[in-house]
Amino acid sequence: MALTAQFLTSIRGFLKALDGETLRDWLKVEPPLPQQYFDLAAELKKAYQDNAAIERLIEACLPEEDDVPEGQGTTWPGFAAFMKDYFEYWRDVDFNDLLGAHQLLTALTNSCATAFNNPTYGTIMLETSISLCSSLSKLTMTLNKRADLIRKLAALHAGDEERKSVIEVTAEIMQKFFITCLTDRSSPRYAQPTGKKIGVYIFANKTLKLLTMNHKSYMAAQLLTNVMAKSPPLSYYPAAQRVTYLYFLGRFHVNHTHYSRAAECFQEAYSQTPPHFQNHRRLILTYLIACNMLRGLLPSQALLQRPEAQSMAPCYAQLAQSIRTGNYVLFQHTIKQHEPWLRSKGLPLLTGLQYSLRALLWRSLARRTFLLTYVPPAGDESRRAATLELRHLETTMRYVQRRLEGYMPAPRVAPKGRQAGINSMLLKAVANSAGPGSADSTLVPPPGGPRRLPPDEGLLMGNMQVTAEHVEGVVASLIDQDFLHGYIAHSQGVFAIMGTKQKGSAVSAGWPPPSEAIAQRTAEPFVPGWVKEE
Amino acid sequence: MAAPSSKQGDKPAAEPAKPETSQQQEKSAAALEEDDEFEDFPVEDWPAEETEAAAATTTTGGGNGTTTQHLWEESWDDDDTTDDFSTQLREELKKVEASKRR
Repeated sequence: MALTAQFLTSIRGFLKALDGETLRDWLKVEPPLPQQYFDLAAELKKAYQDNAAIERLIEACLPEEDDVPEGQGTTWPGFAAFMKDYFEYWRDVDFNDLLGAHQLLTALTNSCATAFNNPTYGTIMLETSISLCSSLSKLTMTLNKRADLIRKLAALHAGDEERKSVIEVTAEIMQKFFITCLTDRSSPRYAQPTGKKIGVYIFANKTLKLLTMNHKSYMAAQLLTNVMAKSPPLSYYPAAQRVTYLYFLGRFHVNHTHYSRAAECFQEAYSQTPPHFQNHRRLILTYLIACNMLRGLLPSQALLQRPEAQSMAPCYAQLAQSIRTGNYVLFQHTIKQHEPWLRSKGLPLLTGLQYSLRALLWRSLARRTFLLTYVPPAGDESRRAATLELRHLETTMRYVQRRLEGYMPAPRVAPKGRQAGINSMLLKAVANSAGPGSADSTLVPPPGGPRRLPPDEGLLMGNMQVTAEHVEGVVASLIDQDFLHGYIAHSQGVFAIMGTKQKGSAVSAGWPPPSEAIAQRTAEPFVPGWVKEE
Repeated sequence: MAAPSSKQGDKPAAEPAKPETSQQQEKSAAALEEDDEFEDFPVEDWPAEETEAAAATTTTGGGNGTTTQHLWEESWDDDDTTDDFSTQLREELKKVEASKRR
């Protein structure tokens, strides 16, 4: 018997026995491959150049049977069409022609989606569908990295009304499988999933991964809306699917600046991943620490010492330290120093840390300024509210801005007669050369003049100089965000702290922990995209 | 500046430390080379007991709190004003105030 006929006879047997796993194992599409597949391809090339001949062969070897007994299966028109495409794929595929292979695999996967959609027999295609989607996704990502081939593809579709990227086309095909699983009626929504419902999060994960890895996670909004509308709870699915889904859902929320939602997803994913999956834990933790910092929770030393935290600890430990102390200079330096690493985790993460952490830095700088300047009033005045003088904050903010522009602390002049051997005239000359700015500042400008800062650097924006109005604006915004507790007495130029008595000290009353304020502000009954049990 | 291996309590100065910079850049580059794809897990499922979520629940009654609680700090404000950055700010404030009184 010819190899093609033998192959189809075996396939018929798997359909009859409802053996989806063996069916998947036989319907291979990519290397490594046993010799039989190359022989099959050779036979198809030789005897089946005509598509109609393939169709006739399939009709003969895979007849649709009537009166199928309970517990058995048979072919159906969608499957016959899929097998025709499968043989065409093997006849025409050339693994050295990436673009051609991709087009053939796209057509085959589309055909698989149609066969899978059959309400009576489609379920047997679940394993094959998963396998084909994995192959297509892999090939699409490889293709997407080849600018020359993408250009060629764009030229081929130049006349099309709606031009879609390969990522988009593949994501759409994979979502067909997802929708088939989601709308399957073999089990109710809030019950252990059976039938095609088993595949809901498998296909959701494949789609989310493809979109996220290619900077198109915004296209996942419709998929997540569908999950919310119809999907069974995530907790009904195996751990690997749960963790993967929560990781990509978290990435989606990071990309949309919903850091608290994202942190909840990453926290759950992290705690559900056993320690031996260190690489997965490392990736989850990279985003979890960033998102938690953005909601006012800093990583402990114990966390940063974990093995999976080693690649991120240098960056995050310094960022946390800068937040603790309000050291904006250290903050900017850390961001610049680790920019390539942060950028490799996605631009949304870098910009999130760069801009959204600023409020915490301002808060800490205001707190530090208060600690350095506040003198509690004595006697009759002792009942007056504790205050932070805004001019002091203006001084420290200006100091930070100048440091960012390259100003350095002026060298100190040694007291006379103390240090033998040092030329006191030289020291005086150095001090005098510090320029006119040194009369009211400990800083001296850099030799070539202040650095020109790009807009993302600088305390406010680039070289914008800090004014009293800026300081009042910053304090007002911190009060509005509940990072400071008190009010601005504009005419006196102070931030007055409220509730000192209840809290026991002015500093704890004026600067409540930011995590509480952020938690109150971002509290939600559920995280969009995450279906929980009723 | 706080080196990655510095102990808790070490205070970073405002100045970027030059000798350590290149070393840390190498580290960043090494991190960049790691494979960042979230790979499929080699197994489909695992028992909850293998995870930290389970460990956190079992240690709740142990008197030491849950594992998760040790990982995040909610109140992290630093009251120590003897570090270099605070010292520099203090001197600047002093000088600015003195210049205004003149």
